[in-house]
Amino acid sequence: MLMPPFTLHHPSSIQEAISIASNIIADGETFDWVAGGTDVLPNYKWRINPKPHVISLANIPEAKQLSPYDIGCMTPLSQLTEVNGMHPLIVEAAGKIASSLIRKSATVGGNLCLDTRCFWYNQSEDWRRSIDWCHKADCGTGADCRVIPNQNTLCVATYQGDLAPNFMALGATITLISPDGERVIPLHDFYQLDGMKKNILKQGEFLLKVTLPSNAFELTGSYQKLRVRESWDFPEAGIAITWKKGDYKSLKIASTALESIPKLHHEQVDSINAEGWSKNESIMELAGLVRKSVKPVNNTSLPPNYRRSVVRVLTKRALKNIGCE
Amino acid sequence: MSGGYRQQPGKSSAKRRDGKRVAGQQKFPPPGSGGSNPVMEPRDLNFIPESVGGKEPQPAGSHIHDRIRTGTVVGKPLQLVDSNAKVTGQAWYGDDIRLTNETIGKILRSPHHYAKIISIDTTRVEALPGVISVATGQDAPNRFGVLPVTKDEHAMSVEKVRHMGDLVACVCAETEAIAIEALALFDIEWEILEPVFDRKKGLEDVDEPIHWRGKYHLSRTNVQKRVFQEFGDRSLIENPHAASHGKWSMEGVHHGFTEPHAVVAHWDPNGRLQLYTPQQVPHYTHRALSTVLEVPMHQINVVRTFVGGGFGGKSDPFPHEMCAAILSRKSGRPVRITFDREEVYWINRGRHPSDIEVKMTADDAGRISGFDIDALIDGGGFASFGHVTSYYNGVLATAPYELGSFHYTGARVWTNKPASGAMRGHGAVNTRCAVEVGLDEMAEQMQVDPIDLRLANLLPPHSRTITGFRITSNGMREALEKVREGSDWDNKFRKLPLGKGIGVGCGFFISGSGLPIHWDPNRFPHATVHIQVDMDGGVTVHTGAADIGQGSTTAVAQVVAEVLALPIEMIHVRSHESDTSPVDLGSYSSRVTFMNANAAIRAALEIREQILNAAWDMLGYHPNTLVLNDRRIYYKHDPSIGVSYLQALHKAQEDKGALIASGAYRSPPMGGVHKGAAAGLAPAYSFSSYVAEVDVDVELGLVKCTNVWAAHDCGKALNPLAVKGQIIGSCHMGLGQVLSEKMVYGRTGHLQNANLLEYKIPSIHEMPHVEPIIIESCDPEGPFGAKEAGEGPLLPILPAVVNAVYDAIGVRFRDLPLTPDVVFKGIEKKRKSLKLEDSLDLPSPRLEYGPMQEPLVLRAAEHKVRDKARQRTEDTSHYVNGVLFGFDPNIPLEDQVDGWKMATEPDPEQLAELGLAGKAWLKKTQREMGDDA
Amino acid sequence: MGEHVVGTEYVKMTPNAPKTIWQSKVNKKEVELLINSNAVLLDVLRDQVGTLGVKRGCDLGTCGCCTVMIDGEPRLSCLCLAGQVNGSDIITVEGLADGAHLAPIQACFAKFGGSQCGFCTPGFLVASQALLDSNPSPSNEEISEAIEGNLCRCTGYQQIVDSIQEAAKIHRGEIEPPKAASDPHPDPHPSGPGEPSMPPGHAK
Repeated sequence: MLMPPFTLHHPSSIQEAISIASNIIADGETFDWVAGGTDVLPNYKWRINPKPHVISLANIPEAKQLSPYDIGCMTPLSQLTEVNGMHPLIVEAAGKIASSLIRKSATVGGNLCLDTRCFWYNQSEDWRRSIDWCHKADCGTGADCRVIPNQNTLCVATYQGDLAPNFMALGATITLISPDGERVIPLHDFYQLDGMKKNILKQGEFLLKVTLPSNAFELTGSYQKLRVRESWDFPEAGIAITWKKGDYKSLKIASTALESIPKLHHEQVDSINAEGWSKNESIMELAGLVRKSVKPVNNTSLPPNYRRSVVRVLTKRALKNIGCE
Repeated sequence: MSGGYRQQPGKSSAKRRDGKRVAGQQKFPPPGSGGSNPVMEPRDLNFIPESVGGKEPQPAGSHIHDRIRTGTVVGKPLQLVDSNAKVTGQAWYGDDIRLTNETIGKILRSPHHYAKIISIDTTRVEALPGVISVATGQDAPNRFGVLPVTKDEHAMSVEKVRHMGDLVACVCAETEAIAIEALALFDIEWEILEPVFDRKKGLEDVDEPIHWRGKYHLSRTNVQKRVFQEFGDRSLIENPHAASHGKWSMEGVHHGFTEPHAVVAHWDPNGRLQLYTPQQVPHYTHRALSTVLEVPMHQINVVRTFVGGGFGGKSDPFPHEMCAAILSRKSGRPVRITFDREEVYWINRGRHPSDIEVKMTADDAGRISGFDIDALIDGGGFASFGHVTSYYNGVLATAPYELGSFHYTGARVWTNKPASGAMRGHGAVNTRCAVEVGLDEMAEQMQVDPIDLRLANLLPPHSRTITGFRITSNGMREALEKVREGSDWDNKFRKLPLGKGIGVGCGFFISGSGLPIHWDPNRFPHATVHIQVDMDGGVTVHTGAADIGQGSTTAVAQVVAEVLALPIEMIHVRSHESDTSPVDLGSYSSRVTFMNANAAIRAALEIREQILNAAWDMLGYHPNTLVLNDRRIYYKHDPSIGVSYLQALHKAQEDKGALIASGAYRSPPMGGVHKGAAAGLAPAYSFSSYVAEVDVDVELGLVKCTNVWAAHDCGKALNPLAVKGQIIGSCHMGLGQVLSEKMVYGRTGHLQNANLLEYKIPSIHEMPHVEPIIIESCDPEGPFGAKEAGEGPLLPILPAVVNAVYDAIGVRFRDLPLTPDVVFKGIEKKRKSLKLEDSLDLPSPRLEYGPMQEPLVLRAAEHKVRDKARQRTEDTSHYVNGVLFGFDPNIPLEDQVDGWKMATEPDPEQLAELGLAGKAWLKKTQREMGDDA
Repeated sequence: MGEHVVGTEYVKMTPNAPKTIWQSKVNKKEVELLINSNAVLLDVLRDQVGTLGVKRGCDLGTCGCCTVMIDGEPRLSCLCLAGQVNGSDIITVEGLADGAHLAPIQACFAKFGGSQCGFCTPGFLVASQALLDSNPSPSNEEISEAIEGNLCRCTGYQQIVDSIQEAAKIHRGEIEPPKAASDPHPDPHPSGPGEPSMPPGHAK
């Protein structure tokens, strides 16, 4: 599969990256950031929204920083499982992503900024042309959404990253860099409900690193991932849960692969906490509430009603794993 | 290098003036006898059968080839002869052929499911700088197809496209980028037609059938082929003691070979086409090229590259091979076309998506009184091997069990999807799964152990199936016994806790097709092998056998080495080019080792005879008293009397130079005379039985297969390493089909998962531990007793897993694959029907033996004695299917039973009750309708 | 659906991206090439460097046939921009053997059935060599994890795991390394044992 033509830029500092980006924007052109490339390159090979410029983050030292608390966007996923001292939940989640080979190339930044997926979208150009395109890659035709016809306002492509719910459940923040400067925001504010827009990154902005709060290592967590094969597959549903052992108020539940964004389920936890915990019953009730709060659509391998059903089981298992009874 | 290597002495002053020899100069025998081992290998008596004086235990009877076993390589686990090329990255596959001055070809594919091509304007394409040549369907309108009876393909669509991704035009250019851009410049006017995706709709009349077969066309339907077969005594199925009725829906699966199709064509300066392609069946490509290009076959040289996996998916002549040739002819330059993975799925030829209905009955003696099978299979846009598949879905279910009656209706329909075709276990896999699961269900009704039910109903060795297939060796019983013992079945079946299960399944498959696809000229052999031995002692074997990784080249080298008692590195197999290879029909129907090795043995025997005759001349002892050892021939009563292989060879070569011999194999005449009797006919059949253990995640519906005991009767394992590799590999592929693989056509008819991420082939984590068990029944017709091992081992894994899932959770599934959502749904349904809160409270199935268990065990024990006697003595006296039901094998069955049927067309009164596929028989052909169009 | 004309709005594939100089070490050899700025490593290796042992299977990161070692790490060359690994040390399947001596992993794949059709073999070899370089005593689970990104359709993986375990034994020095593939014949003329063995019952 031939790569559409683009110019690859290799800035070696944040400043250089920003200035390259600004120049491209000033020239009225477009670009994509690339870290490991395992998400961008397949899309480019399928000729999905390729840009004339691609800026690599590989040579930026700050992007490669790695400590238990600060994880640069260029950190290969394999490092999360190989380097000592990483948060156990992150180790667990990283170890379940794709395959060991992909994890050598794929990065933390790429996983957090993963493009949303849909089987009407992740296809070759010829294929997408034959369905007269879709809302997410409409080639200027204003095409309809193919998942839910007659609605072309919102893209319902599914976010299938594994790390995001785990970082969210640990209360992580992220650092974004743009020509306007740096901003630090909670990860759960990063995602924006629309499979097209995906997140709040502005033009020319990139995610530099993710930071765990100082209390992260007091939290125990569990990540439950549904997939058909234990290699390669994106999650068909994923539930990450953390808490400070014994403190029900500290429970945080995040889900992924069920909608266009990963999300935290505060309300459901709060409502159980308001009632007060009663062991198994509460677990089952909470699991049921989380299940009700997600609305997967038919655009991944497994049917949405099934994915929704198993949220209950995944939530229950995660809760039991962290010793929440 | 380590010591031992001595430079050969040059031709120096050999003699002193006084006539005495130079001191120390030894007399060397002529250079060139081979082997890298400085020490002659003694005969390995462990690999010579007892019957001819060796120590190898005789598995079953003596065999025609036993007397020529030399203990050299047969039966030993050997690495494949081409494996060093593969592990160094030097093996050359399709896309590795890089000729100088090459151009890159790309194919324009249909964006429509079904449309007429009104016009194609290539003006803008040709005007693009860098474009070399352009071709459309009009450049090569001749039709081709793998089967002579169904030639329905074109190099590129001539009048209409039949599925999305069908070929429309092609172009070659200086670079890939230009070729891709050029595809955007074709101006095509289409007339969109109404597509058919649902195979059930394929049975209905439409305005524009996908193909038109003239007077043979069935009304105006999309039925490509219909089959009806009814054999046996139909009265036996009345008042059954047990009955199973299952309607199955099976998704299409793809071969999933790792190497995408690729082809390089070069019309050379002498006007000959050199075509490099990873083909399982280069000979059919050769024929098709000749037809399509209208050049004689001798003007084409088909070079089979290494094949990066075939499994049936590279056995059709392909339109892209024609495209490359046409473009090269036009441009005068080499053209290379390599597929993207998506194109691999569009050309497809995978297993047919099927609706299969199986009704089976057993009588009160626990005999299988009836198999009724109805199979509607989805052929996609072209015929491919489908004509044969239509038969195989029924006829390959007629063994290994003795049946009271057999009834089969099958239909293959065209739909506007990529064409289905032959895939490992061709046609037999889906019905086998349905049948074996049905047997399990009947066993449950009878309250007997399903293995005992099977053991009490097996056909013996040297018998005839209900439709007249000749079974020779038969290791089915031993296979079942071995897996029962290995898996500790008796302590596990129906005794494991919820979520854990164990299941059994059997298989039966052809070892080569009895009749070749091309009958012309009528007496043409199936396989021919040439052997040439020059003065250097090396043996060159020329064969057209296509090694697709299964090791057919190694098998050929092995049998030749075995006959001539030479180290295997002295055997050089040349099998890549049609210019130098005799015709071989290719690697399909599990025929290649069986037929090719047989041909190679014949040729090697001729060489052996010439060498032994020379040794007779030299030693004065008759060849019958000479023993072939590693590069040495000696008198068997006094080993010190002998000559070296090279001395004998040179003697044999006096006056004629190189020794050359040719051997051929042709299957004997056999089988019935009814219409379709040739389908499924094979010179030998393989048998297999697997036991699988599964873990079911009862809450999520995830099934994980943890252990498989896999016994396969391959006659004789020429190379146990390769046989085990085939067994384990078959398990992997079958597990994919039963658990995760499917070609998904969405609501718009588009193939949604044409890539290896979404088409879910099991990873190493899904792979159970497989215990391969080789059963050697020593076939009288096979090379050194061997039968196939490449396809049959796939069959039992599917039903074994489905049955194991039932054992684990008590739910029968009849939709494949068992993806977690399907299993989840089944569990939920069961949970609700039992009014349980939690699926973890589901009961596990249990077995209390009923009154039939004991008689069945007794009968199985009697049959075991019977089978052993027949196998040992090669008792080929009549045993026909029906003896178990009390018929006399010496009188034609139809003379004994009033109702004995042998029909290939339904009676009019039967029409109303035929199954889904049988409905095709309600339609009349155009000829019958009075239209001779 | 109605009238439909193919041939508009395709993503442009020409002109080529600007050229850039690419210098790396491939199989210990310094390579200097002019590549397209957007080039993918797999294409550079196959079409320009000429290491055709690196295979293109799925081209999207699933099959692992294109695995090469980059600075000692196994990586998918189909999902790797050549420009991002400029100046690195790359080992392909062609670089595993030591001259005429097959690497233990290669010899074991051949000997224990780890390779059937052979197309996925280069990727498996590189991935397993990388594993053995860092861990000469891998458990079966560690082997599974190391090759979970490689797809084999022929072997069912079992004989591949066997092959890797055997190669590990050689790496640990427990068994002899394989002989060189191209050792000249030590002696083309076999001198047999004193007396060739005979079928029983036929002794002098």
